[in-house]
Amino acid sequence: MASHFSGVLQLTDLDDFITPSQECVKPVKVEKKQGKSVAKIQIEDDGSYVQVNLDGGKQKLEKAKISLNDCLACSGCITSAESVLITQQSHEELLKVLRNNKAKEQEQKIVVVSVSPQSRASLAAHYGLSSSEAGKRLTSFFKGLGVHHVFDTSFSRSFSLLESQREFVERYLRREQDSKSLPMLTSACPGWICYAEKTHGEYILPYISTTRSPQQMMGSLVKGYFAGEQGWSPQQIYHVAVMPCFDKKLEASRSDFYLDQAETREVDCVITSGEVQKMLEEEKVSLNDVDPAAPDTMFSSVCGDQFLSHAGSGSGGYLHHVFTYAAKQLFGEEVKELTYKTLRNKDFQEVRLEKDGEVLLCFASTYGFRNIQNLVQKLKRGKSPYHFVEVMACPSGCLNGGGQVKPSSGQIQKEVLQTVEQLYREERPLLPEDDAQVADLYKSWLHSVGEERAKELLHTQYHAVEKMTNGLTMKW
Amino acid sequence: MKECLSLVQRLSAHPDSRCWFVCWSPNGTLLASCGGDRAIRIWGREGDSWICKSVLQDGHQRTVRKVAWSPCGNYMASASFDATTCIWKKKDNDFETLTVLEGHENEVKCVAWAPSGNLLATCSRDKSVWVWEVDEEDEYECVTVVNSHTQDVKHVVWHPTQELLASASYDNNICIYKEEDDDWECRATLQGHTSTVWSLCFDGIGQRMASCSDDRTVKIWKEYPTESSQGDLSWKCVCTLSGYHGRTVYDIAWCRLTGALATACGDDAVRVFTEDPTAPPDEPVFSLAAQATKAHNQDVNCVAWNPKEAGLLASCSDDGDIAIWRFQKEA
Repeated sequence: MASHFSGVLQLTDLDDFITPSQECVKPVKVEKKQGKSVAKIQIEDDGSYVQVNLDGGKQKLEKAKISLNDCLACSGCITSAESVLITQQSHEELLKVLRNNKAKEQEQKIVVVSVSPQSRASLAAHYGLSSSEAGKRLTSFFKGLGVHHVFDTSFSRSFSLLESQREFVERYLRREQDSKSLPMLTSACPGWICYAEKTHGEYILPYISTTRSPQQMMGSLVKGYFAGEQGWSPQQIYHVAVMPCFDKKLEASRSDFYLDQAETREVDCVITSGEVQKMLEEEKVSLNDVDPAAPDTMFSSVCGDQFLSHAGSGSGGYLHHVFTYAAKQLFGEEVKELTYKTLRNKDFQEVRLEKDGEVLLCFASTYGFRNIQNLVQKLKRGKSPYHFVEVMACPSGCLNGGGQVKPSSGQIQKEVLQTVEQLYREERPLLPEDDAQVADLYKSWLHSVGEERAKELLHTQYHAVEKMTNGLTMKW
Repeated sequence: MKECLSLVQRLSAHPDSRCWFVCWSPNGTLLASCGGDRAIRIWGREGDSWICKSVLQDGHQRTVRKVAWSPCGNYMASASFDATTCIWKKKDNDFETLTVLEGHENEVKCVAWAPSGNLLATCSRDKSVWVWEVDEEDEYECVTVVNSHTQDVKHVVWHPTQELLASASYDNNICIYKEEDDDWECRATLQGHTSTVWSLCFDGIGQRMASCSDDRTVKIWKEYPTESSQGDLSWKCVCTLSGYHGRTVYDIAWCRLTGALATACGDDAVRVFTEDPTAPPDEPVFSLAAQATKAHNQDVNCVAWNPKEAGLLASCSDDGDIAIWRFQKEA
């Protein structure tokens, strides 16, 4: 794929990935100034376009620009054109905010960076550290750049897991009345959401869990709770998420996560693990040489100075948690260990709860485009045996996300992935129910705002994108 | 003694439309054709002439670009511009729709069955190549989606004996795929054509491949052993046929019985090339043995050798016709 961007900014080569289209087909509205006569358009040496009027006067022409919002509303390509993703949300944007903070004392922004555990593991593998160690050093690195708070999205993921568990049981109980309540399909993967909205629309969307992803849960926590607690307005905070995935940039740009009144996004900017590595290189520091700092305990899942994680897959462990919870809640079964059965390939696995020969629960995880295809086709034909499916667009899931640090020369992709998986698993798992801080927030914050507002803060919605029918998309 | 191409019969197959593709059934008794009229027609021999046995009309909403018989001859697959691939099952003397494969974003350009009959490959303008697996219950599941081309993929073809797949594209390249660790990977990219590669085919034993292109040439590629067992497959161009074709070469067919190469060309001609058996294997020599310069009134889209009757060749064209030829020594 041809790209004008440096290596780190290109989507990682994943064969089984929903590839961005090469050219954008979205028609752009251009504001045209009234003019009465013909004019010539001339291309200057620097590549800019200039209109030369009949009287010889010159006028610089503006370039048409596509924004991320245009991308989200267009069915022209599955995800967005690469260039759009990268120019609007990049580590340069974060550095700009930090520079402004230093230059203008009065217009300070509170800068918050929320790091995903998958990014932590990827950077840990790159620098030969443990995940927790990488987390502490990243905290130190960001704070050294002028970032005020460094949080951990394992913490907000506890909310995502708890809400998914409850949502599943609620959907299971109304499965007789609502044919689209099951299977419940996970919603944390923005590539999958984008694909579902753009190509399968109303047919698939009702199956998708309304629970927010860990990134957007953190958005609620930072701009909906933390800001208020600290006495700041939401737009005084600049919130950055560090993610294993480029499509998370698109997720952050969704209008559902824009606070109209405060005129700000819940997550202002998403940068990938690879971009963080680039930042380190630009600052000419190795994570190995950075002194570790204590984790920011406000919104982090930690025990002492060790970061904690969740059981189950490296993509958040949704299947694991929902399965264990549902087995207990619906059938009174204590599941100690889940047995994953590999079906067609390693990215398509099944877990069942059986009692007296009867299948009580049938869950699956489907990663990668090929397996998503089969899932969607099965649903369309009414042949899906599943109650719940953990869906991820990347083969091998989030630890293998398109935004992870690329293998250095001589390294083999598969071996790097194995190391990342191992480092991720070395973090001790915490049951979301056992996080006292999370429980406190449910009590002190979510119960006080009322049920409706709490739902807005913890859940979201999806929108079918109309297929484009204009002539520009036709190509022979 | 010289060879010649003589016309056996001309059939108005898809009148007022284009005939895009023809495919012989594995036992050579039936010929399937498809076209811009969204129909598939099945032709069979009665006495000395070929007649239409059935018309399959309700499978697709747009042009049917290619058809392929399963190796057992009991199924047929059709690829259409309506973004779907239809699987047909033979029942008595007719065909019924078994299933419709969805998933490609837009026009499906080609479909091909693997020699085992368990795998099916499709390719599309969406730049992807898909492999599907068929189970005992006639259920189809997607095994892989590979995005190795940067443009429209025109053609897919399987190796005659191994599970090796090749594709040709508008990006001027040929890709060869193999299953690796429960997924399919592009293991070789063949560069050489300077414009769209429209079609390609293997020889009878699968050691060589012939490709044809918008650059008006035909190239012969040969497989060479690789140094390491892990390395990519090694295919090299050992022969280029240029100067024979006046326009785009749309299709090429390698006869498994005689080793003759037939081409379909945008200059309305059908040509047959034969190989010099005395030339060294790394420098094969092909020469024009026979041609029908006005084979059709318009572009020739496809050529197909009958798999059982040596020298029997079918061609079809934008003029909507099928022509059946006999390639033989001049009497």
